Amino acid sequence: MEYINEHTLPGQIGQLAIVISFVTALLAAFSYYMTASGREQWKSLARGSFYVHVAAVVGIIAALYYIMFNHYYEYQYVWQHTANELPIYYMISSLWEGQEGSFLLWIFFQAILGVIIVRTAKKWEAPSMTMFALVQGFLTSMLLGVYIFGAKVGSTPFILIRELPEYINLPFTKMPNYLEMEQFQNGRGLNPLLQNYWMVIHPPTLFLGFASVLVPFAFSIAGLWYKKYTEWIKPALPWTFFGIGVLGLGILMGGAWAYEALSFGGFWAWDPVENAVLVPWLTLVAAGHLMLIYKARKTNLKTTYALVFISFILILYSTFLTRSGVLGDSSVHSFVDLGLNGQLLLYLFFFIGLSLFLFFYRYKNLPKSSGEEKFWSREFFMFIGALVLTISSFQVTFSTSIPVLNSLNVVEFINPIRGWFSMEPLENIAPPIDPIDHYNSWQLPFALVITFLIGITQFMKYKNNDTAELVKKILLSLIISVVLTGLIAWGSQMDNRLYILMLFTSLFAIIGNGDYWLRMVKGKYNFAGSSIAHIGFGLIMLGALISNTNKEVISKNDTYIAEGFPANENILMELNDTLQMGRYNVVWNGESREGHHRKFHMDYYKQKSNGELEKVFELEPYIQMNETFGNVAEPSTKHFLTHDIYTHITYAEPDEVREKREANEGYGREADVEMSVNDTAVYAQHFIILDSLSIASELSRFDANGNPMSIAVKAHMRVVNVAGQAYPAEPIYFVEDAGVKHIDADIEDIQMRIRFEDVDSQTGKISLKAYQYVGDEEDFIVMKAIIFPYINLLWLGSILMVIGTVLAIRHRIRKSA
Amino acid sequence: MKKTHIILILIIALGIGAVISTIGDASTYVSFDKADKNPGKQYTVIGYLDKEAERNYDPRSGLFTFTAIDKDGEKRVVVYNEPEPQDFERSEEITLKGYANDSVFVAEQILMKCPSKYNENNQVEEGDNVYYE
Repeated sequence: MEYINEHTLPGQIGQLAIVISFVTALLAAFSYYMTASGREQWKSLARGSFYVHVAAVVGIIAALYYIMFNHYYEYQYVWQHTANELPIYYMISSLWEGQEGSFLLWIFFQAILGVIIVRTAKKWEAPSMTMFALVQGFLTSMLLGVYIFGAKVGSTPFILIRELPEYINLPFTKMPNYLEMEQFQNGRGLNPLLQNYWMVIHPPTLFLGFASVLVPFAFSIAGLWYKKYTEWIKPALPWTFFGIGVLGLGILMGGAWAYEALSFGGFWAWDPVENAVLVPWLTLVAAGHLMLIYKARKTNLKTTYALVFISFILILYSTFLTRSGVLGDSSVHSFVDLGLNGQLLLYLFFFIGLSLFLFFYRYKNLPKSSGEEKFWSREFFMFIGALVLTISSFQVTFSTSIPVLNSLNVVEFINPIRGWFSMEPLENIAPPIDPIDHYNSWQLPFALVITFLIGITQFMKYKNNDTAELVKKILLSLIISVVLTGLIAWGSQMDNRLYILMLFTSLFAIIGNGDYWLRMVKGKYNFAGSSIAHIGFGLIMLGALISNTNKEVISKNDTYIAEGFPANENILMELNDTLQMGRYNVVWNGESREGHHRKFHMDYYKQKSNGELEKVFELEPYIQMNETFGNVAEPSTKHFLTHDIYTHITYAEPDEVREKREANEGYGREADVEMSVNDTAVYAQHFIILDSLSIASELSRFDANGNPMSIAVKAHMRVVNVAGQAYPAEPIYFVEDAGVKHIDADIEDIQMRIRFEDVDSQTGKISLKAYQYVGDEEDFIVMKAIIFPYINLLWLGSILMVIGTVLAIRHRIRKSA
Repeated sequence: MKKTHIILILIIALGIGAVISTIGDASTYVSFDKADKNPGKQYTVIGYLDKEAERNYDPRSGLFTFTAIDKDGEKRVVVYNEPEPQDFERSEEITLKGYANDSVFVAEQILMKCPSKYNENNQVEEGDNVYYE
């Protein structure tokens, strides 16, 4: 059968490109393997097939964009992720909304990095590209979408809706003109939660970061393979810091997105998905610093290897966690199992196995550290820092893996341990009730140690330090930090000792690095990189600490609910009413429409010294109206240098409810009642009794033959209150040629309205609608407002960390060139 | 004893500490019945929304009330101190963190497994038939 107007060719081309990219990746892996094993004649085939692979990857993306931009809704991916009305930047970003597309993005960046490696790695090309091509082979297999011996291998973005297994044999798949059907004229579009400029830049940054972790891994494997156990570090070092910078930026962008546009009410919530990207970053930072130590001091090589391996494996593990559906019960992000778990696990275990095997196969040949390092030395302090990062990563990984542990049924091993601490046994294990508290209780001390080490280590020399001299060097920074800590802690009434300590260590990290750069290296631009990056990290910690500990929810609702109930952080606001929130007076003075946005105009006033109110700023949080996905409220934040005011609409009366109320002269709280004669119903603490029905002849008209032209039925009812007082009500139901009319009965004494809605001629039952007068109710919204003090420190720190990393990489590359 | 050994022991101790504290902090998925037996104690209940029952958000008191059914089929009225979460009626499964009191389950946090977030189920409607992926 021929389907009308179906465009299958671009999809077939795309599918072909997937197959080519898969085959050429395997071919490149094999021929690079041969090249690396000494058969140079394989090299041109290896390179050639890798270039074809890259071209095929670009081809997949081109084909996918082609069907997306042409709105070919016969394709499931196009239908599910795009829509006619999406602007171009969201069309571009809807490529990575789905799992298949985000794999594709990752594959693409890895292919690009691969090309750079081919061009620059020289003698390292063959072994490291073997790894690259192998990883590309695994990843492209995720897109194949074929069944091999009944097992699903990959999931392709080029599948047609009518080919989806669940639709097979449904009537529409047998209609040649099915594409003319209403539902194929437009797609579902991009989820409104994701319609934000962060969606355009955050995932590509993150996946570039993911891709860059492969480079040090590939080089370290190459080092073991070629028995050049130490030489790989030099070429891999800039790449490691590139990965640290980009992945770090990606994580921070995720935080910024959560803070700016999602209603998390903060930038970090220890959500499993956030954790999954954080942990490889932590170990990569540790690995990068160990590589620096090795270059300078030739120590800790084995730990360096281990951490490079762990970083890459954690990337794979994160991929498994976030895409297998295993986190479904524990994350606010939800994931659908694509049925590729087996493949993801195979991928994970293959690389765990490979790195373990090579590591232990070569273990006894690995050069030993020369002698014991001194305690007061830069390398020892950096080493401790790297280990703390590793444990920090381990703690986060372990806690985030609880759903995995639960599915592995480890609860039987856990209960005896709980028993030793006299805790009750569990039937199964779920993540901690208060994850933020759980993670912070561990991560705060780790952060404390790290920031302190960042502050002190810069001042230390490699090998050995005279402690008296060291103290002299750091004294100035220490004093300034202590004084500032005292002032800030006093000014913000911080009383938690751990927080004050953290305040001190992060200030010390910032000031120490600034001091070191200015006094010790005389502000030389070339050496600025590490100082700036470390100042940035210190600022991130400082900003996180201050904005979290002094965060102030100013929209607290004082309404007493019940004993032991958490205070409500949302407040109800009537139109044009002024409410005091913290140091502000807030007015909601109306709303407006802009396209799909329902904007709420909020004015913030401050009291001047003479008592007058002065408008300081306005905010426009909005609700994105979306019929397909439901409405999404987006916060709006006013940024000041010293604090942010975050404002979020948590509830606004839907249009339908409001319109109905207005159309009904202020009668609301509609209730449907169905009754027969002599029935009684209860509404708003009144009994409604239907006594009888009659024809209202004064309203009914008959033609000359006595046939009704219009007919009116009157219900004789009583509404009785608890005291027994009865009010008569006689609503009328009226049918004429023009349609149905109702004459409502209003009982003014008790502000009730009864509408005679319909008569069922079969059963003799009538339908009524009862209303109460709510006309005095103003329009209202429910909102939440939070003040985040000094959160700009965090953003400033993020920018500095990236700039510093870039400078440091540039310095490394120049030095080695 | 070498310095590295001391460090190694410290690291292992910290690692074990992290594992044990996680085991200690871990909560458990329970049924409403179990939560009822220990009123006020924090639990995690997995269930789904009773779509037949009434859901009501009262903006004046700020309380959202609905009925949930746990995996044993037990129904409970749940109150939540925030407005109805977005797309709540579409959720396939809900995770409730909170505690029981003598009349209701008080949810402090609600997580939803929702077909309409990231990679949601497809829904192609054709006449009266609704097909789900």
